[in-house]
Amino acid sequence: MKFPAKKTLQLATLTLLAFLGVTTTALAQDARIQTSQLEAALATKASQTVSVDLDEKVLGLAWKFLSTTDPDEKKVRDIVSGLKGIYVKSFSFENEGEYSNADLESIRSQLRGSVWTKIVNVSSKKEGNVEVYLMQAGAQISGLALLTSDPKEITVINIVGPVDLEKLSDLEGNFGIPELNLEKSKPKSKN
Amino acid sequence: MKDDYLWDRSGEPDPEVQQLEEILGTLRYQPGALKIPPDLKIDRRGNFFRRMHPALAIAAAIAIVLFGSALWFGLQRLRNNSQPQVAQAPPVNPETTPAPAPKVKEPGLNPDYKEASVATIKRRPQSFAGNRNRVRREPVINATENPKTAANRQEAQAAKDQLFLALRLASTKLKFAQRKAQNSNSQDLIHNQHRIG
Repeated sequence: MKFPAKKTLQLATLTLLAFLGVTTTALAQDARIQTSQLEAALATKASQTVSVDLDEKVLGLAWKFLSTTDPDEKKVRDIVSGLKGIYVKSFSFENEGEYSNADLESIRSQLRGSVWTKIVNVSSKKEGNVEVYLMQAGAQISGLALLTSDPKEITVINIVGPVDLEKLSDLEGNFGIPELNLEKSKPKSKN
Repeated sequence: MKDDYLWDRSGEPDPEVQQLEEILGTLRYQPGALKIPPDLKIDRRGNFFRRMHPALAIAAAIAIVLFGSALWFGLQRLRNNSQPQVAQAPPVNPETTPAPAPKVKEPGLNPDYKEASVATIKRRPQSFAGNRNRVRREPVINATENPKTAANRQEAQAAKDQLFLALRLASTKLKFAQRKAQNSNSQDLIHNQHRIG
């Protein structure tokens, strides 16, 4: 079997390009959501802004400082272990209607497509909307995006890396995290 | 003596030059077919790379791909393992650990809450230094402790505070989403009951 040199070089180049393509695609499927556009749109409108940017380096630093003996902090260690980033943006507004759905479009547009799966979508006129998205790599969750919006507040939470949803939601009640107990707080009917 | 003969053979010829011409003239190019001596042996070992270059090019490409893949996966694994390596660090001594940050309420609940960004990390421990309830748990920095270590400790504490804040929000919102989803499901069931029975 004899290969012409030109064809061989073409074959080798195509193989390399395919490899680079696969690598780039794998790297591109990062669960990080860009919020700069949302921030730019709401920076002047919001009365309060909470911005937490914890990349892998800062997470590692915090992780190192978490106690191994305290059971609560141990829970956090378990959750944080393996995470590549936690990013929170929360905007509060003085009055209703200070933001529009178009402002949220920059976030939602990133969550459309085959990479993200919407697992929860609750819409309520009074209490706002809740959307939970997951990015999965095989059987493992590789990212979480949570978008809540009510008339006076928008919160975008983005966790990059393998996150255990059960453990994360179980944190409520620890570290001063209030338990909402929505069901209990509902006024009982007199009947 | 003119050197014209050397240039274009037009001048008077120099006997020495003529003599040289005769000697060297025997070596001038003679048009004719190439004659290969019959006893000449061709060493084919030198042609190995020439003959095998297609296979070698493919092998090199595959090797580069494999090497690149191994490097990439190796870096990924190294990155994932970097945190467990940190776990082997000596356990944190509660006496020397700084106090947990004051509880920061959720946005919208505490009007005094200001933006908690990474930029505030370094200032935060100083700003809460006067909190009397937590004075006893403020970081105890030895006189011999390296200032860089103390700074790192403060930075780590600030990162921890940020982490707690982020997890608080994430946990609360996630639980809220779960409850809302469960409520909507149960309401749907109630709504659909008349259709069933």
